Amino acid sequence: MCDHCLKHGTAGKWYLNAKLYSEELAKELDLKEFMLEQYKTFEAMQVRNFGGFSAVGMGYKMQLPIISRIVKYTAEKMLHTEKPSRNPFKAEGHIGQVVPLDDAIAILETCVPEDSLIMKYCMCRYMHKGEKEACCINFGIMSEIIDKLPRFIPEPEDSKYRLTKEEAIEKFTEFNKKGYIGTIWYGAYPYINNLCACQTPMCAGFRPRTEFGIKSIFKAEYVVENNPNNCQGCKKCITMCQFGAIDFDEKAKRALIDQSKCYGCGNCLLACRFEALNLVARKEIPALAGNY
Amino acid sequence: MGKIKIKIDYSICGDGNKIDPRDCTICLKVCDPAIFLLHQSIKYQKEDDPYDPKIWRVTPVYPSLCILCMKCVEQCPENAIKIRN
Ligand code: SF4
Ligand code: SF4
Ligand code: SF4
Ligand code: SF4
Ligand code: SF4
Repeated sequence: MCDHCLKHGTAGKWYLNAKLYSEELAKELDLKEFMLEQYKTFEAMQVRNFGGFSAVGMGYKMQLPIISRIVKYTAEKMLHTEKPSRNPFKAEGHIGQVVPLDDAIAILETCVPEDSLIMKYCMCRYMHKGEKEACCINFGIMSEIIDKLPRFIPEPEDSKYRLTKEEAIEKFTEFNKKGYIGTIWYGAYPYINNLCACQTPMCAGFRPRTEFGIKSIFKAEYVVENNPNNCQGCKKCITMCQFGAIDFDEKAKRALIDQSKCYGCGNCLLACRFEALNLVARKEIPALAGNY
Repeated sequence: MGKIKIKIDYSICGDGNKIDPRDCTICLKVCDPAIFLLHQSIKYQKEDDPYDPKIWRVTPVYPSLCILCMKCVEQCPENAIKIRN
């Protein structure tokens, strides 16, 4: 369990705390105006300059040892901040965690406010790939915000816009089976409003971490474990993993998992037809304790 | 280690000029490491519709991840992209 969950979680998970999804919280923090302002030009967030830095050319900045430490410190401080957000053009308090299917279903069933579920076009796939794919499940005040921003609203042939809980669960399950990674996000700390279905390298939430070592997203509360006796060596799980955490053991003809690389998304499990994989609690694995 | 420089000619594509990148998006689609960003060009925004800004551009936001495959340069219909290593 990370420090964050100990402080904010129910059953040890921050994202299973219905309070953090409530209309009252959004009101109390006065987030409606703030988030509307933010989403009007959301795609431009990475090119804005803060404290002398923007994400433009990030890779080259990160090759310079002193600058890279400053960038990492500044970015993590901004993303992890627990102060109420002040500047809608910064990704302040915008931190997320990977969630496997069961936890995503628990979120949708128990935490998300009724009648506020929508499906919007994924920003990351559009701004980094020019693709319009409706796979971002939003809720709470986000539905009122997106109502005003037509570029995020899916065409009827792409997806229904307003979803019931059952439809949201069905859609999310479909995404997981396609290999999209489930992630849950604070919109602005500590209000939760996004359940995403992400893909690397487009996802702007994963890239700072996978490419530049900035903790822009936490790994799941879980990690995958294999049961070599059941593994048939079909390699289905390997193509499913977006983090290169599964290799093929040529000698034994079995899948080989590197738990230190696993984000715990659970997608490999869904691909395996032989019950050779399962998720276990990350905190139970001593070598991974604290590696979120 | 040389830096890769990717330049887009904004007098052709983006900022309200000849091509609206949202109607094209070819460079974004062909780039496997997805180093480009399609976004509102804030400086050039007119106030007319703040909810759905009309003026966009493409910025090569992660040039260090470019694998120099040259697909964007070759496939840009307007020859608007130049890459220097
Ligand atoms: S976080 Fe994931 S689903 Fe959400 S907008 Fe980004 S890639 Fe799309
Ligand atoms: S999908 Fe299952 S059976 Fe196939 S290689 Fe992976 S763990 Fe083994
Ligand atoms: S090995 Fe880990 S990160 Fe890779 S698909 Fe499986 S659960 Fe996800
Ligand atoms: S050369 Fe290839 S990798 Fe580099 S920006 Fe163009 S398409 Fe992307
Ligand atoms: S391919 Fe060329 S014309 Fe098309 S969006 Fe990219 S830079 Fe503009």
